[in-house]
Amino acid sequence: MKQKVFKFLGWVALLFGLFFCLVQSTVTAQAKTYQIGTDVTYPPFEFANKQNKYVGIDIDIMNAVAKEEGFKVNIKPVGFNAAVQSVQSGQLDGVIAGMTITPERKAKFDFGTPYYKTGVVMAVGKNSDIKSFKQLKGKRVALKTGTAAADYANSIKKKYGFKTVTFDDSNNMYEDVTTGNSVACFEDQPVMQYGIKQGLKLKIVSSPANTGWYGFAVKKGQNTELRKKFNQGLKKIQANGTYDKIVGKYLGNKTNPKVKGKTFTIGTNVTFPPFEFANKHNKYVGIDMDLIRAIANEQGFKVKIKPVGFNAAVQAVESGQLDGVISGMSITNERKAKFDFSQPYFMSGVVMAVGKNSKITKLSQLKGKRVAIKTGTSAADYANSIKKKYGFHTVTFDDSNNMYQDVTTGNSFACFEDHPVMKYAIKQGTKLKIVTKPAESAPYGFAVKKGHNQALLAAFNTGLKDLKASGTYDKIKAKYLGTDDNGSVAKTAADDAGSRSFFGLIKQNQGALLSGLSETMWLTVVSIFFATIFGVIVGLLGVVPSKFSNGLSSTLIYIFRGMPLLVLALFIYTGIPSLTGTKIPAFIAGVVTLTFNEGAYIAAFVKGGIEAVDPGQMEAARSLGLPFGKSMRRVILPQGIRIMIPSFINQFIITLKDTSILSIIGLLELTQTGKIIIARNLEGFKVWTIVAVMYLIIITLLTWLSNWVQRRTKV
Amino acid sequence: MSEKLRVTNLVKTFGTNNVLKGINLTVNENEVVVIIGPSGSGKSTLLRALNRLEEPTSGSIVIDNVDIASKGVDIDTVRENIGMVFQHFNLFSNLSVGENIMLAPVELKKETKEQASAQAKKLLKTVGLEAKFDATVQSLSGGQQQRVAIARALAMNPDIMLFDEPTSALDPEMVGDVLAVMKDLAKKGMTMIVVTHEMGFAKEVADRVVFVDDGQILEQGTPDQLFEHPKNERLQDFLNKILNV
Ligand SMILES: Nc1ncnc2c1ncn2[C@@H]1O[C@H](COP(=O)(O)OP(=O)(O)OP(=O)(O)O)[C@@H](O)[C@H]1O
Ligand SMILES: [Mg+2]
Repeated sequence: MKQKVFKFLGWVALLFGLFFCLVQSTVTAQAKTYQIGTDVTYPPFEFANKQNKYVGIDIDIMNAVAKEEGFKVNIKPVGFNAAVQSVQSGQLDGVIAGMTITPERKAKFDFGTPYYKTGVVMAVGKNSDIKSFKQLKGKRVALKTGTAAADYANSIKKKYGFKTVTFDDSNNMYEDVTTGNSVACFEDQPVMQYGIKQGLKLKIVSSPANTGWYGFAVKKGQNTELRKKFNQGLKKIQANGTYDKIVGKYLGNKTNPKVKGKTFTIGTNVTFPPFEFANKHNKYVGIDMDLIRAIANEQGFKVKIKPVGFNAAVQAVESGQLDGVISGMSITNERKAKFDFSQPYFMSGVVMAVGKNSKITKLSQLKGKRVAIKTGTSAADYANSIKKKYGFHTVTFDDSNNMYQDVTTGNSFACFEDHPVMKYAIKQGTKLKIVTKPAESAPYGFAVKKGHNQALLAAFNTGLKDLKASGTYDKIKAKYLGTDDNGSVAKTAADDAGSRSFFGLIKQNQGALLSGLSETMWLTVVSIFFATIFGVIVGLLGVVPSKFSNGLSSTLIYIFRGMPLLVLALFIYTGIPSLTGTKIPAFIAGVVTLTFNEGAYIAAFVKGGIEAVDPGQMEAARSLGLPFGKSMRRVILPQGIRIMIPSFINQFIITLKDTSILSIIGLLELTQTGKIIIARNLEGFKVWTIVAVMYLIIITLLTWLSNWVQRRTKV
Repeated sequence: MSEKLRVTNLVKTFGTNNVLKGINLTVNENEVVVIIGPSGSGKSTLLRALNRLEEPTSGSIVIDNVDIASKGVDIDTVRENIGMVFQHFNLFSNLSVGENIMLAPVELKKETKEQASAQAKKLLKTVGLEAKFDATVQSLSGGQQQRVAIARALAMNPDIMLFDEPTSALDPEMVGDVLAVMKDLAKKGMTMIVVTHEMGFAKEVADRVVFVDDGQILEQGTPDQLFEHPKNERLQDFLNKILNV
């Protein structure tokens, strides 16, 4: 891993690396490293910041103390319960996790000097008149289950005569108050304070009640030295102002947009089962999909899933077109340079798969052979990293099915794929077998653009933690991979065996295919409309008597005719937003792409058509005193258009075909629809046949239309 | 006899090719001037410069006391008063015969559609083609097309008519019809500048004949002076060549 960083970031990384090693070695030379557990996300006490580094009051205090006392800490955000348990079992040395000092806990832990005073506060809507508990009489109050704040509220509920409603999660509780369903909520003071600073539309109206103290804890009777050092260090940082600085930093004036109620567009792969794929009803499902939806649900934000393909998704996140990507994306150091990753949510590894009857079982048998890989995947990275050693060469595909097909057809001898993906595909009927053990085990993470969408990232982490705690996470995983290795997945493979005939496939996918076709037609019609306007304007610029206009026209034609449509599409969809910072919907990006590209061709034949009109016609018109524009409109264009009509119709057909290229930016037109259906049922030949026939039918109709129009204009 | 058009020191170069080398020419009202000269001598260029289909390189072209070669002039209005007839007719092939004639008067708001079509019919009658009003351009013979082209040029009521070899693309049996229309026009007092090789027409109709060679006017005078008593050697050569063909 480190080597890769060096390779990719060159000298900068080398210097950083050296610096890092230096710091590490000097510290470790005289210092002991303590393993400290903490919560995954408990802002403002611990959470991952923009650089995906753990920060927060707890973390900063711990680090400051360690620095002061000359020891080293390795802070592990394993979650509150896990941290507490690990300390008890001796796997961790201590825990700092907003842990309230209670008599029960004192029986099992030794606490350091209390470092933060907390208490329960009541918060109400920003414009609310409620100032005291008395005003709650008969009103509804929101609580979060199992918190000290809820315990407190319940203890005073009778006295003040209010009703309570409980939520599983703070955000939902807050929302219940901001929407006015409840008039107030109870929450730990620092948490509430931090939330308000981050933009919650609430205000705190009571002084802290039921106050308690957070403490740093070690296992009872163990790590006495660590506890002593913590106490000494805490005293020092409280004396020298560091402590106040830390607390002020988090509860001071920082703002951060909240995720609640917001809609995030999340990119994913077109097909990467079992993580993402369209099911029979063409709804996107899979581990990634279910997970992100569950998290969104839990955290109170909405997601719009954009199955644009892995590369497109990654690029779109980089360019800011999409807010995040969840796409079985391995967390690698290279990627960390551009993305902020969530906590890993899945552990994967790379396996080699070969044809069912292949005799290849070892990497060493690949010598001189061709191996299929999928662009930009960690499996591809792995294959590339060992390709020299084992002497094979690689061929790259953009999507998994094409890669598998290359192996099943015998073009390639093997492919490399993430273990769960390969397993799922084989269960679905792909005629391959896995021949190696998972290598390069890699964590999958949800990613956002580095330094952006931190609220979303934090929400993902919180949500993930919650889902893991509630068991939802395991349920999702089991749904796709089975509880054991031969899980329930096999069933889905068998269930639609009856509908694998041509007609079965057409019937089953009728809706998807027709909607794909209609998207294709829309794209074509809208694009050709704008392309015609653009083309005619640029074409006319090419024939007006102005050197500047002529040059402009030639340049535009040169650029847009010279650029491959694919590159233009990607440039407009992912490049422009990087430059301007504004997102472009895929459909509009598609129309713009076709407008420029097809428009350039139209411009060329508009210009050509006009130039093909006898120049004597223009001279005769001008000699009568008709200005250039009128001569053009009344004499030249009517004759030029007659020359252009066949080219126009031809261009219409070409545009229709070119829309298929826009599947690269995730437009759900006919080609992309085909890809998605195949991703599910792996019936490549049959589905592509259906799609091809659909294109041919439409194009035949257009050709008839064109002949008819041409016949009419000739008369 | 008042002066209609005066060309002074007219020079036209195409890149390095000096085609007109300082032309001085005066044309009076009602005068018919025939320009003759060998191929490539600059006759068409001179004629086309007179309505700025070719932009003059230098020199002045004064029509009715206005220098139309100067920058500020609205050339479109100037052209409304100068009819031009081309060797290859250049009728608008997307329009019918009647529409060809009506286009400019209607577009330039000189006449309403009704006035224009009445006038077009009248003009067609004068060129002997009243039956062809609705015909397509493609259905006409060359001679008929050229007569329509003359009618089209006349529709804007010009003061001056320019003809650039109006008969040289025609079959011999059609030349007469076109020349007859032109003679008629000359009789009515139209100021005409005609580039042609029709010596008979020149002798009969021209008030003055101008011999152009190598971008210069080498001799000019009455038809009798030029054809019967040519002084310039190159003119003599030229006349010998065409009369002996
Ligand atoms: N647009 C142009 N660009 C460059 N050279 C031109 C252009 N038009 C005319 N010329 C050149 O100018 C010269 C005179 O041409 P012009 O057509 O005026 O001759 P002409 O006397 O009308 O000949 P013809 O009797 O063959 O019609 C020729 O050498 C011709 O090549
Ligand atoms: Mg000529």
